[in-house]
Amino acid sequence: MRHGEPDSISGELDEPPVSAWSRARRDVAVVLWPSFLAAAVMTMFFFAIFDPVDIGEGTALAALVANHNAGYALGFFFFWAFTTLSSALSLYLVRTESQLGRTDVGGPRP
Amino acid sequence: MNANRELPAGGPTEPPEEPVSFYAKHEKIHPREVNGRFDRLRRVAVFVLLGLFYVVPWLKWDGRQAVLFDLPARKFYILGLVLWPQDFIFLTWILVLLGLSLFFFTALAGRLWCGFACPQTVWTEVFVWLEHAVEGDRARRIKLDRAPWTPGKVARKAAKQALWIGFALWTGLSFVGYFVPMPLLTQDILTRSLGGWALFWTLFYGAATYVNAGYMREQVCKYMCPYARFQSAMFDRDTLIITYDAKRGEPRGARARGVDYKAKGLGECIDCTLCVQVCPTGIDIRKGLQYECIACAVCIDACDGVMDKVGYPRGLIRYTTQNALDGRPSRALRPRTLVYATLLTIIFAVGFSALLMRKTVALDVIRDRNALYQETARGEIENVYNLKILNKDQQAHTYRLAVEGIDGARIDAPHTTWRVDGGEVFSVPLRVAVPGGIVKGGHDIRFVLTDADGPAARVIEKARFIAP
Repeated sequence: MRHGEPDSISGELDEPPVSAWSRARRDVAVVLWPSFLAAAVMTMFFFAIFDPVDIGEGTALAALVANHNAGYALGFFFFWAFTTLSSALSLYLVRTESQLGRTDVGGPRP
Repeated sequence: MNANRELPAGGPTEPPEEPVSFYAKHEKIHPREVNGRFDRLRRVAVFVLLGLFYVVPWLKWDGRQAVLFDLPARKFYILGLVLWPQDFIFLTWILVLLGLSLFFFTALAGRLWCGFACPQTVWTEVFVWLEHAVEGDRARRIKLDRAPWTPGKVARKAAKQALWIGFALWTGLSFVGYFVPMPLLTQDILTRSLGGWALFWTLFYGAATYVNAGYMREQVCKYMCPYARFQSAMFDRDTLIITYDAKRGEPRGARARGVDYKAKGLGECIDCTLCVQVCPTGIDIRKGLQYECIACAVCIDACDGVMDKVGYPRGLIRYTTQNALDGRPSRALRPRTLVYATLLTIIFAVGFSALLMRKTVALDVIRDRNALYQETARGEIENVYNLKILNKDQQAHTYRLAVEGIDGARIDAPHTTWRVDGGEVFSVPLRVAVPGGIVKGGHDIRFVLTDADGPAARVIEKARFIAP
């Protein structure tokens, strides 16, 4: 490690080394990422049991899932869309929870 | 209501002096680089883990790709093992083992995973190296970012982006190489005919790597990682953590070289803040264990370097346990670790023996639905079935089929033994004939498939036989 002379080691921080993410950015991250993980696991379990080509057979989806890879990919994004919706709703409910009406902050409920 | 207590003193209408902003300005992170024992250890981990990731898709086994998740064929090849959708339980088993191992190692030695093995960490490390190679050390990078856009800066930034994007694309391609055979993939690239989903996933995974390792870095650990939040459930006072020895260090303070700090009432922390400057998540380890700490140990390396320079013993920041800090003995063997270890051993043993004893053949019977039964000229009742024989082994096997459950039942087919190639699904339509008058209505029968080569491998599949 290269640093200045030992005598000059001092307590100066020339800039904050790390910045915080904005709330908007955090919101996007905490919605997309857990839903991505859940969708990935869901895709694995679902397609271990069901073959996308079998599912598509005889339905309007047949052309879309004619090959397996398309079926898996569409399945994954389908799941991700709904897990994202669920995450986003949960976040929305937590964010819009009434703070003013809270009586449990400073002590036991009256 | 005790509303007054929660409001600022100035009254409800007056805003607080410094409003809390939820929209903090996003400033770029410039972590300082460190050399030291743990940094070397991480380099080894990065080379081994990423080396495996990039090399494994190229390895061969028995003339096929050693590790291939062949999704179109719905077969997973892992070295000598071929997993079919029916063997999905083993994938679950592997996931459970990995999860339990994570718990076990976390209880024992803290967030080893985060600091040395997490993909987020290892790929970030490589992206930081590339950045360092092009833009220089921390001071130069800060200077470069503040400098105006001269041709030199454009060239450096472009070179960095080229390296990053190239590496990300290679990563995406290697990822797809686990699902599409590598020779096919390289051939498609060479003939510029890579398309469809292979191209899509290459770009998807490549872009995710680029954004995660190039830009988001340790912010992912702080804001997005669930593991960081439930680490406290796995930690106890005997868990190895990275910690600052406050007893030794405090009171901290700057001092001139060679001064008897003890006489001045100072501890051994010279308050150089290097531990804060090097921290990729920007915490001050001297404030104690925080969930943002990914146990990367760069603060240990930084502090050890400073201690060497000022001539104090190393280890002001070190790997230790809460008990050791408090002067109590630490135990590696304790109920928590023993429970995790026992569970791991049992689940591993059960799964592994199931894997060894797993039948290499499966039989699927579907009754033909077009006709309930037929009566032949010889006065027999016949039912039609479609059989699927799955040879899950890698070698060809000869299978012999018999039918049980009704006296006099026989298989009416040209053959009752078949040779099925390794990894093949063999379909046989056949008729089962029963002399007339023996059964009435529905009756259960059993198809028994015996492996003529293997040691008594036998599968039995039930079916329904219908007579008038």
